[in-house]
Amino acid sequence: MWSYVLRRLIGLIPVLFGITLLVFLFLQLIPGDPAQAILGERGTPEQLAALREKLGLNKPLHVQYFTFVRNILTGDLGTSAVSTIPVAEELKRRWPATFELALAATLVAVVFGIPVGILAAVRKNSLLDTLSMSLSLVGVSMPVFWLGLLLVYLFAVNLHWLPTGGRLSTDLAIDFRPLTGFLVLDGILTLKPQVLTDALRHLILPALTLGTIPLAILTRITRSAMLEVLSQDYVRTARAKGLAERQVILKHALKNALLPVVTIIGLQFGTLLGGAILTETIFSWPGIGSYIYEGILNRDYPVVQAGVLVVATVFVLVNLLVDLSYALLDPRIQYR
Amino acid sequence: MKRKILLGLLVALGLGFAQKTLVFGANGEPVSLEPGNITDGISIYVQRQIYDTLVDFKPGSTEVTAGLATSWFSSQDGKVWTFRLRQGVKFQDGTELDAEAVKFNVERWWDPKNPTRIDAAARYEIWPELFGGFKGDPGSILKEVQVVDKYTIRFVLNQPFPAFPAAIGSGYFGIASPAAIKKDGAKYGSPTGSAVGTGPFRLVEWRPGEQVVLEKNPTYWKKGFPKVDRVVFRVIKDPAARLAALKAGTIDFTTDIPPANLKDLEADRNLDAVFRPSFNVGYLALNPSHKPLSDPRVRQAIAMAINKKAIVQAFWGKLGLTDGHFTPPSMKAFQSPKVTDYEFNPQKAKALLAEAGYPNGFDLELWYMPVSRPYFPTPKEIAEAMAADLSALGIRVKLQTKDWASYLADRKKAPGFQAYMLGWTGDYGDPQNFYDPHFACPIADLFDGTGKPLCVKELGDILTKAATTPNLEERKRLYQQADELTFNLALRVPIVHSQPLLAKRKNISGWVPSPLGSESFETIEKR
Repeated sequence: MWSYVLRRLIGLIPVLFGITLLVFLFLQLIPGDPAQAILGERGTPEQLAALREKLGLNKPLHVQYFTFVRNILTGDLGTSAVSTIPVAEELKRRWPATFELALAATLVAVVFGIPVGILAAVRKNSLLDTLSMSLSLVGVSMPVFWLGLLLVYLFAVNLHWLPTGGRLSTDLAIDFRPLTGFLVLDGILTLKPQVLTDALRHLILPALTLGTIPLAILTRITRSAMLEVLSQDYVRTARAKGLAERQVILKHALKNALLPVVTIIGLQFGTLLGGAILTETIFSWPGIGSYIYEGILNRDYPVVQAGVLVVATVFVLVNLLVDLSYALLDPRIQYR
Repeated sequence: MKRKILLGLLVALGLGFAQKTLVFGANGEPVSLEPGNITDGISIYVQRQIYDTLVDFKPGSTEVTAGLATSWFSSQDGKVWTFRLRQGVKFQDGTELDAEAVKFNVERWWDPKNPTRIDAAARYEIWPELFGGFKGDPGSILKEVQVVDKYTIRFVLNQPFPAFPAAIGSGYFGIASPAAIKKDGAKYGSPTGSAVGTGPFRLVEWRPGEQVVLEKNPTYWKKGFPKVDRVVFRVIKDPAARLAALKAGTIDFTTDIPPANLKDLEADRNLDAVFRPSFNVGYLALNPSHKPLSDPRVRQAIAMAINKKAIVQAFWGKLGLTDGHFTPPSMKAFQSPKVTDYEFNPQKAKALLAEAGYPNGFDLELWYMPVSRPYFPTPKEIAEAMAADLSALGIRVKLQTKDWASYLADRKKAPGFQAYMLGWTGDYGDPQNFYDPHFACPIADLFDGTGKPLCVKELGDILTKAATTPNLEERKRLYQQADELTFNLALRVPIVHSQPLLAKRKNISGWVPSPLGSESFETIEKR
């Protein structure tokens, strides 16, 4: 087992190197001079030259790449070309916001997706099945941006039930000093119920927005996994033994159907960590997604490079964890 | 002592309930709160609340008025500017504002070798842009900054610069506490450091990506201001989300609302549309190094053939104005009464074009910006409208664009764009800031097609003279000449002066937006 884990970890090294190369090269493919983009309409030739020098853009490509990798290896992710704040500092501070949101969105997907998927499979071709499958199709194809704004206008602007964005209300945020950066957790740890409820209220709409696509995917995956398992011999055997239908489904079928579902949950969670860009932008969520988005708009290469790199790394690590847990869940898989 | 504490507590409790917090929806994150080292709108907006500048501007206008300096005058030759400072003004850290403090700030902005320029990465790019260069540069307008006495500071210039008070008073140059800068070092003005000025509010906390919290400055020199206890800048980048936050009451007021939302704003009972006086120009640049465009008659024909009024009406509605002047309406004193915009007349334009030898028109590449700017919110659609107008003359327009960075760089590279859209927003209330970057020799933004700047000598001479003449009446006359000349040359055809759209909730009053882009919140009240 441990040698398997070790081998998988070593296998990550070339993958991560590949990521650095891709991130670096992709940014080079974008036409135009980032120094010009940062300075805008008014940059004089002298200012342009100075900024290019400062950003290291006047060096040959391989030197730039080498510097980039060497800096990463020493833990230096560079400084933002716009704000001159170290990128690592900013990513560290924004990480909890994105993590909390991704976790909440996954929770939305799991809590609603799995039961609906099971029910749809058990009552195949029923009204519920048709309805949930059509809805999940809508969910997958709905533009995130549009859905987010729709929810904001409905629940925040018109009904006033929930806030429009941010992580805490203005007044609360002024006095509150986060401990871990996970505000829901912080609300509990600092024994401040109003922080806890406020943070949860702010979390609902972005989590729903971000969770919709994984929710739809999970519903479909659960349904088809259940359908497949339900047609297996051992389910028929369980039924033949005279077990209650409830027990057959929840004990025998579900346990085995969950295997692919777990994989999907892991994959989706990894995607959410990086893919929250649109949701974070609509909801002014101060996470990594909105940071990368801003970096792209500003042509802030260090921010985009480091941001994408970190997100990709996390994605790879989450995938590794999924593989390992899969191996734990399914005794048929051997560590070789 | 005990009674005092008790009293304080009671007052605090009483005020606690009445604490007025103003929430501003910021369209982005401040970059830095270090004066002289920023050029973006949001940083300047926040900075404006923390710092004061040497001179200020009358609310809603570009006219200079007393700021930290109560009076100022220049020598006969216009090369020496002396400012008398307001006495008894304290920085928010308790230190005093005096001439030494001003000198300290100016030398930081001006001198690249200044040891208090802590962060080597910082650019301080705005000083050379407005004042010809850093200390030691050949073009530097400033020669020396002297402390005359405790409350008198003197600027010795290399050449006369009548617009000096307006330029040094622009929002970039807030006067910061030298003690705070020395204490904080590289952290000064960053989220982990302080930002200390003499302004109406003081910095409490800056949480990047979320909010900047400012609190009323209890020792502010202007008695009775500010009117609220706190200002919070909440970062909401997406315009639609910002409008939603305003509707929901999460924020009290905001800027940078897309013009298309005006109707929606006016229909909402809780909101007011607020208009910022225009201080920009969006223009169509016609490159004289491209053959047909080298003939002024061709350029004038184009100016005549574009139905600017209809275009402005269609794309800006009441948020735009077209008047033929290159400078915005607030520069009226410097505009020639003789300049009235080219009449929209396709027949006359066609005749003019025929006279120039192009009765059947010609092919023209027109470049439109890939980004939205206040002066051109929807560049592509506007370009299409112009192209349609030009087709009436037989000019076959091919619309082109490329990414923003290349667009800006390539328009200058040989052979340059034939025709392109661009614009300008002013830094301070003087026509020099509009004309010089576009038309002055040799820095002009005109190109000869070989990658070198082009100099229109007659115009260049007028602008040089106007920029250095101390006499105001003489300057007005010169800029009126420049106005007529640029109009007739039609190298830059002004399409629009647009009014940025802002919005507030009904219970906010006393907000007077400045044409210069940022204004103090000290006069704002919240019911």
